[in-house]
Amino acid sequence: MAAWVKGGATDAGTAIEAAASLLAKARAPVIAGLSADVAAIRAAYDLAGRIGASVDTAGSAGTYAELGSLSRVGALTSTPAEAVGRADVVLVVGAAPWQAPILKRLIDAKPSRGRAAGSERALLAVGANATASLSWPAEGGLTEAVGVLRAHARGHLAGDDLPGQIAARLAAAQYGVLLYDAAELGEVGVEMLQGLAMELSETTRCFTLAVGGTGQDRAVVPVSAWLTGQAPRSGFGRRVPEHDPWRFDAARQVAAGEVDAVLWLGAVPVSRPDWLSRVPSVALVADGEAQAAEVVIAVGQPGRDHGGVLWNEQRAALTFWPASAPSDLPSAASVLGALKERLVTGQAASRSEPAC
Amino acid sequence: MSTLTLRAAPPERLDLLNINPLALSRLSQGEAERLEIGTTRTGVRLGDCFAVALDRSDTLTIEGGHERLDRVGASLSEGTIRVAGDVGQRLGAGMAGGSLIVAGNAGPYAATGATGGTITVEGDAGDHAGGAVYAAKAGLDGATLIIRGAAGAHLGDRMRRGTIVAGRAGAFAGSRMIAGTLAALAVGDHPGFGMRRGTLLVGTHGRMSPTFVETGTHDLVFLRLLATALRSLSAEHADLLGKPLRRYSGDLATIAKGEIWVAA
Repeated sequence: MAAWVKGGATDAGTAIEAAASLLAKARAPVIAGLSADVAAIRAAYDLAGRIGASVDTAGSAGTYAELGSLSRVGALTSTPAEAVGRADVVLVVGAAPWQAPILKRLIDAKPSRGRAAGSERALLAVGANATASLSWPAEGGLTEAVGVLRAHARGHLAGDDLPGQIAARLAAAQYGVLLYDAAELGEVGVEMLQGLAMELSETTRCFTLAVGGTGQDRAVVPVSAWLTGQAPRSGFGRRVPEHDPWRFDAARQVAAGEVDAVLWLGAVPVSRPDWLSRVPSVALVADGEAQAAEVVIAVGQPGRDHGGVLWNEQRAALTFWPASAPSDLPSAASVLGALKERLVTGQAASRSEPAC
Repeated sequence: MSTLTLRAAPPERLDLLNINPLALSRLSQGEAERLEIGTTRTGVRLGDCFAVALDRSDTLTIEGGHERLDRVGASLSEGTIRVAGDVGQRLGAGMAGGSLIVAGNAGPYAATGATGGTITVEGDAGDHAGGAVYAAKAGLDGATLIIRGAAGAHLGDRMRRGTIVAGRAGAFAGSRMIAGTLAALAVGDHPGFGMRRGTLLVGTHGRMSPTFVETGTHDLVFLRLLATALRSLSAEHADLLGKPLRRYSGDLATIAKGEIWVAA
């Protein structure tokens, strides 16, 4: 097992000991990233509960843009398989979805199921374009553009300009799909896009499909829901899980100097934020390198070094991925479990020093 | 007048939900000092951070503010709280009555879900002032929010009732508004984005979304009533109504029963 403390290679026991002492003395620790398999995410919430940490994910900007909208207006969603099989009109919202793997599948195949089976698939674009047949640059911004499309779909705006044409094509579709990236569109935009899908669904079928998502955020959302009853950004400082997307935003907490220790969980590789270097940190990462944090412990990558349940983008579900190249690297869940054991016996939480 | 004096900058965010004149009036000095206000496992208590002086009156003064003081005056139902400095998020959240005055700046989500009373911020307010928190049905819900300085983005997001008066406001002022009245001397881009009903009164504005349609200049009795109502809160805002006003109707993406009045 590869492990480093302050840049120097060491063994597992020493690294776990160093990580435990870093977390034990922290007033407000944060467990961030959470890019890992379900077992490790569970272990992370368990550890957070024991040490009063708060939790944040690697892709929370996009996750909360979606959850915020979902909590208010609900969502009409499809899956990648349904979109590829049924959609005869696809509206690509913004630039990010053009980079998504699903786009090639949508371009390469015609709809094969349902009422649109066998017909051509039309690709429309708003905001940015690569190969769409109809494209609207939308200089006023994506959020505003989605609002304009919705006003057309409602019949409150009319005309045969570009947004009018796009709205007409969506209204005439058998199965429309609105492809978007939540982080790019933002909460207000996502809510407006859901409104557009709902307007169109009055007369035909139209669904939204979010692409991307950073890390394993889509696995964290259901796991945090079944463990805490809340969305991912929860804190356990007062022993019960409190959900507060603003207070437990890890980047904000670091910028405001509220955090004194961070545990970064990146068993599924994900880019590390630059604020990580500004606080004492422990990193459990698959791509272990000495400089990643103050204490670095290399863990197995689920689906490669060991089996694990991960978000399956293609099937839009949590599925088990067997180890493709088994190794003796420990799983992130087992390291988190060892940390928890060490911290529970080591007695945390005290009022020994003046609190203020 | 009871007084809490902050001794030093708080080492963590503090939650002052349970600190109000009514609650303190029933407690002894010792009991008040033992009230839990911490948000981490260290269990910070009121006496750890504040010097407490109680006189059982209905007025509480917090001397020395800090942006880490969350939920000051939250759920306040009667009495007055004055803060001599800054406060953190959710100032007066869910407040039902009474008066809350902050001499400094407020963090985000000031007056969220407040159903009654008056909240005054002499300095600036953060994003989502009078706006809804995550998963809440509505932002400001009947209270009066006065921001003398600048407000951040999403001022009055999803507000449902009540009045907001702000100096300047950022982008998306009055976004997704359900109902209510929002007056600002200047707002940023996309005022009223996604609003259903409600009234915005603005001096100047940034980019107006094409989903708002200009419906001309009107001289309505309602505007004079509004001017009278606003004059008690801010003469400057009431004066906006003395000028010829252009009316925009929207947001056409929704039921479009909202309106934005722009002082020319």
